[in-house]
Parts: sequence; structure tokens; C-alpha cells
Amino acid sequence: MTTIGRILLVEDDPKDTELTMTALEEYNLGNEVVIAGDGEEALDYLYCRGPFEERSGENPAVLLLDLKLPKVDGLQVLATIKADDKLKMIPVVVLTSSREERDMVASYKLGVNAYVVKPVDFHEFVNAIKELGVFWAIINEPPPGSIRKK
Amino acid sequence: MTPAKTLLSSIPLPVRRYGLAIVSVALALVVDLFLFRQSFQGVEFPIFLIAIAITSWYAGVGPSILALVLSTTAFNYYFTEPYDSFYITRADLPYYTVFVLFAVVIAWFSAVRRRVERNLQESRDRLQQEVATTTQQAELLNLTHDPIFVRDMQGVITYWNHGAEELYGWTPAQAVGRRTDELMRTVFPAPFEQIQTELLRSGRWEGELEKTKANGTAVLVSSRWSLQRDGQGRPIAILESENDITDRKRREQDIRGLNDQLTRRSADLEATNKELEAFAYSISHDLRAPLRHMVGFTELLQKNASSLLDEKGRRYMMTILESAKRMGTLIDDLLSFSRIGRAETRDTMVSLEQLVKEAQNEVSQETDGRNVTWKIGPLPHLYGDRSMLKLALVNLISNAVKFSRTRPQPEIEIGTAGDRNGAVVVFIKDNGVGFDMKYVDKLFGVFQRLHRASEFEGTGIGLATVQRIIHRHGGKVWAEAQVGTGATFYLSLPKP
Repeated sequence: MTTIGRILLVEDDPKDTELTMTALEEYNLGNEVVIAGDGEEALDYLYCRGPFEERSGENPAVLLLDLKLPKVDGLQVLATIKADDKLKMIPVVVLTSSREERDMVASYKLGVNAYVVKPVDFHEFVNAIKELGVFWAIINEPPPGSIRKK
Repeated sequence: MTPAKTLLSSIPLPVRRYGLAIVSVALALVVDLFLFRQSFQGVEFPIFLIAIAITSWYAGVGPSILALVLSTTAFNYYFTEPYDSFYITRADLPYYTVFVLFAVVIAWFSAVRRRVERNLQESRDRLQQEVATTTQQAELLNLTHDPIFVRDMQGVITYWNHGAEELYGWTPAQAVGRRTDELMRTVFPAPFEQIQTELLRSGRWEGELEKTKANGTAVLVSSRWSLQRDGQGRPIAILESENDITDRKRREQDIRGLNDQLTRRSADLEATNKELEAFAYSISHDLRAPLRHMVGFTELLQKNASSLLDEKGRRYMMTILESAKRMGTLIDDLLSFSRIGRAETRDTMVSLEQLVKEAQNEVSQETDGRNVTWKIGPLPHLYGDRSMLKLALVNLISNAVKFSRTRPQPEIEIGTAGDRNGAVVVFIKDNGVGFDMKYVDKLFGVFQRLHRASEFEGTGIGLATVQRIIHRHGGKVWAEAQVGTGATFYLSLPKP
């Protein structure tokens, strides 16, 4: 049995969340997904504070991060993670609608691990999510201290 | 000039001078002999002295020595005993001594007189020269059109040239004797005392002054002052020369105004550009998300509920999907079109031949399985942004491929069509369906299409993109076509 790493999906749009979840569930990756609706919630989860005070302190195996988020936006979340010694090892994949070059450049400068533009075509979208999920949650060896489930 | 004077002045000067000596001594001798015969004795000696004196006064040293020698000889011969002989006795010696001394004194006096006369003459000449020079300089000052005037330390005008008359309208007669600041109502840029101090310190001052002409109109002049001092270094007068800068100032103000306007406009433009960028950014983010949802959920519906729908329902769903996808393509195309306008160009030397090859590769999917004949001539090197030029070529070549696909034997020709005003002209020719030249104006517009979507797919943004790229390179693009026989697109691009 393969181990499945925990995925933290940071996405404010419930429709996008639903589509992403559909794609992930199709490959049985849905059980290990935690959803954060905005940047603040994502940081709360990572720092185990607020509603996540009780959780064990391990990091997710991968962070799927939308850029346009309420309160704290994706680039700010990315900057915070990459500036924190405990969090900076978490692989972060930006998953966005935007094909804007400046977002891409800013993300890579902050040290993002991958940058994926959500395809409009559903099949392409499902494929992209599936490949991302399979790669980061199953194939990739996450850094020590990540949540993994046998 | 009288005839006698002319005659006299025609005789050479030495002859005249020595002649005077001979004549005066001869006359004295005649008078003496006459008086001697009349038994007037004792006056011979003074009369000879008079002759010597006249000679030395008028003719100088040489002739007076001659007169002295002649007088002595004549006196000795006629008037000393023994008479009518040259015999000299001891008793005659005092006479001769007095003769000689007298002659020396006279000659000395005459030399002094001559020197004084010469000095006088020289200073008169010098004075005349100075007067002439000064007059000439004053006339020269009058020649210039620049206003020049002189005022004394009380500000009273002492000289007023023609240029000043031309500018201000007062004649020299009206201006001389008046105070400058009263006459022209001068407005100084700084307190007058400050200007005066500067002038006295450095001997000069420069600045812009507002003045009023005789007819009441205001005038702005650039004024230069120079201080004149006398031999003791006391300031005595100020020379002012000026330029009328009223027009120049007005033009400068106009230019400044235009510049301000330009700055404002470019700021507006920059703001507009920023807004456009923000707009494009939010389109990129926000408009694509709902589309993705439409497509995604329709797909899910199709997958889960397809069996519940009839043929019509399934077709409707297909249409929704197709439209949403088309909308996605349109948004992407529009964004990349707007990016061309905003992106900075990175210019390098580009081989057009290489770019055409790469563009051909990009459209190879569309030409697969079709028997397209390519005729590619030699193509130049150009200076430009490689990726943009390639995008333009890809658009043009894929158009050529697309619109010739109904032909049994598609033919695409790419080559150069010579030079035009320092630009090289490249053409891309196909034997496709062409278009009606009636609509050529619409060809390069955004979302403008000359063919039905059912005949040829497309968003209508390709040629607008081509035009934008070519314009950004300082070139031109145009097309010629005929319905049913094909189209030719021309690009003119500046030579490197």
C-alpha cells in the first residue's frame, strides 16, 4: 500500500474547490485533503492556531495555493511560508486562473515549487489536478515532519 | 590759395630758408649803406642783428649761421675802419663777440619756439584724431539695432542711440537729460540698492528688466550694465545695452505651457495604461474562473446524467461546452493581444528565414496530410523582437494555410518584394479563398472577420495582433486579394 501525503488546498471559490475535489476523488486522493478558504485560514492551519489549535503540528505534504484570495492573498501566504524556517520546506504549488507573467515571476522569485494555470477545458483540468495530486501526494518524498497516511 | 603763395611754396624749403638769410642780410646792408651815406652812424650793428634775428626766428639754425657770417663779413667790410677792407683790429673783437652771442641766444629762442610749436601741432592732431574716432564710434553705436544708452550716476541720460529710439520711441533729443527710471518706468527684479551695490563692486550687472515704451506698451529686455570710472577710479557713468526679449519670453512661456500639457497628458496616458493593465489582469483572473466552472459542471452533468437526457438535451449541452470553450479562446487571444501593446520589446538581429522555418513548424499540425507547396525565397535579417516577429509570422502563415485548405493544390509563397523608403518589404502569398477588397479596411480590426465561422474558424484577432506587432517595429502591413484566387499580405519593416 502506498502512503498518501496530506494536501492543503487553499481556494476561496467553492465551485473551484468542488471541481478540484471531484478530480482528486476520482483518484482516491480526496480523503487527505484539507481545505482553507482564504490565506488567513491557511496560515492558521500551518501555525496550528485558532480553529486548528488542537491539530498535531506536522506539515502537509503539499500546498495547492490559489493566488487571488480574500484577506491574505496567495503571494503573501507564499512569502510567509518561504520566510519561515519551519514551513519553508513544504512544497508549494500555485494553482491559478492567471496566465499573467508578473504573477509567475513573483511566485518563482518567492521560491514556489511549481506554477500551474488551471485549464478551462475540464478534461485538461482534471488531468492537471490528478497529475499534481499523484506526484506531490504519492510519488514525491515529502520533507521530514510531513503528515502521511499508509 | 593766391598765385604768389603757390609760387613761393613751389620753391624747395632749404632754398627758401637760406634765401631768407641772404635776402634779410642784403636788405640790412642796403639800409645800412643808405643810412651811412646820410651820415647816420652807430645803427648798422643793430640792423644786422635784426636781420639775424628774423632769419633765426623763421628759418632755423643753419640759415641764421649763414646770416651771422654774411652780416659779420659785410659789417667788417663796410662799417669798420679801415672802410672797404676786411682788415680786423683788436677794437672790433667785442662787436663780433656780441654778434655771435646774440645769434646763439636768438637761435636758442627760436629752437624753443619751434619745439613748442611742434608740440602744439601734435596735440592738435591727436585731439582731431580722437574727435574723429569718437564720432565714428558714436555712429557705429547708432548703427546697431540693439538699444544702447549712457546715464550718469544720478540716472540722467547722456547718450541715447538709434536702437534705443527704435525700441522705446523717444528720439535722442527727447531722452537725453531725463532720468531713465522715470522715463521708462523700469521695474527691477531686485531692490535697486542691491543692483547698485553689485554694479559698484564688480563694475557690471546683467538682468531682465520690465520697461514701458513711449506709446505705453510694456517691454521685457535683457539688460547689461557696464560702469565707467574716471582716472581716479570714481564711477562717472553707466552704459546700458539691451535686447528686446518680449517675444522670446512669450515663446518660452508658450513652450512651457505646452510642456506642462504634455506632462499632464503623458501622466493621464500612464494612468490609463495602468487601468488597462489592471483590467487585463482582472479579466485574466476573474473571467476565466466562471468559464471553467461552466465547462467543468457541464462535463460532470454530461458524465452523470447523460442517460437521462434525450438527443436534443445532449446537443444543448454540447453547445454550452463549445461556447464556453470559444469564450475561453477569445479571452486568451484578447489578453495576449493586449500584452503585445504593453510588453517591452527586446530587440536583436533576427533571421527572418529562421523565423519562417519555426513558424512553419508551429503550423505543421494544420498542414499534416495536405499537399501544400511552399515557395520560400531568400529573406533578410531584421532588427526586432524575436518572439513578437515570430508571433506575427505564425499568424500570417497559419492564415495562409487555413484559407487555402479548400484548394486541391494549396500553394504558399514567401519572399521579398524589394525596398520601399529604406524599408524592406516581405510578402506572404496564398492561392486560397481570398477576400473582397471592399472590406479591406476591416481586415486588421480586433474581432473583425471576413468569413463565416461555419466556413473558417477563428477569433478575428490574429491580423490585429500582426498589425500591432508590425507597428511597434515601425513598419506597415497591408493586403491585396481577390475572391477565389488568393490573398497576399505585405509587411514593410525598417532595414537594420
